[in-house]
Amino acid sequence: MAVELLRESYGIQGRNFDKAGEISSEIKALLSGLQLNPTSIRRTVIVVFEAEMNVVMYAQRGTLTLILTDDEIALEVRDEGPGIPDVDLAMQEGYSTASDEMREMGFGFGMGLPNMKKNSDEFRIDTEVGKGTSVLATIRLNSHG
Amino acid sequence: MAELKHGFKIDVDKCDGRMNCMRACPTHAIRVKDGKARVIPELCIDCGNCLQVCPTGAITATTLPFTALDRFKFKIVVASPALFAQFGPNVSPAQIGGALLDLGFDAVWEYAVDIELIDRAISDTIRTWPGPFPLISNSCPVIVRLVQVAYPAMVEQLISVEAPREIAARELKRRYAREKNLKPEEIAAVYITPCQAKTISIIQPAEGVTSYLDGAVAVKEIYNDLLFRIRQNAGRPHPTEDFYGIGELFHWGSPEGEFPHLSPEHYLPLTGIQDVIKVFDDIEKGKLRNIEFLECHACPGGCIGGNLTVENVYVARSKSLHLSSALPKPSAAFEREVDRRYAEGDFFLRGPVRPRRLEGNGLDLRERVARKKRADELMRGLPGVNCGLCGAPSCRHHAEDVAAGRAEVEDCVFLSRDRINELRKIYRRA
Repeated sequence: MAVELLRESYGIQGRNFDKAGEISSEIKALLSGLQLNPTSIRRTVIVVFEAEMNVVMYAQRGTLTLILTDDEIALEVRDEGPGIPDVDLAMQEGYSTASDEMREMGFGFGMGLPNMKKNSDEFRIDTEVGKGTSVLATIRLNSHG
Repeated sequence: MAELKHGFKIDVDKCDGRMNCMRACPTHAIRVKDGKARVIPELCIDCGNCLQVCPTGAITATTLPFTALDRFKFKIVVASPALFAQFGPNVSPAQIGGALLDLGFDAVWEYAVDIELIDRAISDTIRTWPGPFPLISNSCPVIVRLVQVAYPAMVEQLISVEAPREIAARELKRRYAREKNLKPEEIAAVYITPCQAKTISIIQPAEGVTSYLDGAVAVKEIYNDLLFRIRQNAGRPHPTEDFYGIGELFHWGSPEGEFPHLSPEHYLPLTGIQDVIKVFDDIEKGKLRNIEFLECHACPGGCIGGNLTVENVYVARSKSLHLSSALPKPSAAFEREVDRRYAEGDFFLRGPVRPRRLEGNGLDLRERVARKKRADELMRGLPGVNCGLCGAPSCRHHAEDVAAGRAEVEDCVFLSRDRINELRKIYRRA
């Protein structure tokens, strides 16, 4: 079992588009400060940003936890949102349930979840309609140079 | 790796430790200890912000003194387009070219063709690039260094095409060696530079090769001499009267329109390092993927606003626009020359640009995490007002410096009365 070196948690406030992106900026600064390899940082920051946007768009609130071990970054995102009725459909590129308002702001093109999966080495969604969604994504530290 | 060189120096005697430089540095590369500023070399990206804000003139750009060129037999100018925007509305590029010859240069290179070549090479690279997007221009050396230091994951997005000034220098050496029967090492290609960053890109290119240029002279340094000669020559016909070709490169000194071949919705020009940083932060989050090419200049307004220029950026921009509007259409001979050289030339960088090695790179992950936790812990004991009196730009930087063993936590005036007394002595006015 990998030893946990660092654990950081962040609260995400739903519907707050002004603040969206702040956690990914913080995590970028954190990982850059630790001088992790640039590709792992980039992949992590993209996953965090998309996760943050999903919570902001659909949920009242959520939390994001980052756990660093010797060989990977694990991200756990939990929200108290509407849940996803059909996960397979939601994972398709371009599928979106975003409102016109969200689209006008430049979000909701149906790339969020697929993009998170693409940038993770492991990716799992647990969701229950009416309760919320949790996502677990891991990014390995050594596999991308 | 060779020692990192920078395009300026700090005169310790003139430095009063006023910390303007430390606060203006976008990469937090300056510390002020014992009342004197010093640079952390691996963090400095040669933007020149510190030069501009120093109240005592202690920080100066190191460009080539004019006399250092005497060892060459044949000296050719490659002038930044920014030079031509520095003079009043009635001074033509031809007059400036003539004055450069009077100043002792043997030729002035017209590099409209080189610029067109690079424009094509960039457009072709963008067309065939598999991603990730956007690609980022590399003609501003500060941008290249900013990516190396602060955005290491984006180095592959720096476009791997040479700057026109480099291609110009390569070509002029070939041509004059042939025409004048000279050895290439007897020919100097001298860049007239709007900033000290381009000087450093000649002394130590980011991709670890040897520049085709032999040195740089600041616009500021020769401005008065040029102006004097332009006045002296007024009204006389000049050997460089057909010098209009140089006008073609005017898009290059100023933002917007550097790449007329690119479609505007996929091309974004940016100037000013703070704005560039904002956009780079967004790119790191995966935004801006619909943009193919970012043209970035660290100086607000682009190279015409470089810190070694003379005229204010708005006046220079007006002159630049005026000059480009008066340009003739490219001639058939021009197009033929571009086609010929594009077919046989190679315009790509000769080496890869890599992230810069920073302090702490050698430590293993656990040690790095331990340092970070130590810094977090120290932060809790610091006031968070970022007063700078410890000598670091913020409390966070002080905590990190202490955790890395570069500073003592007691340098904070909130933690040590002795520190205040020390500072009183250092900053006591004569």
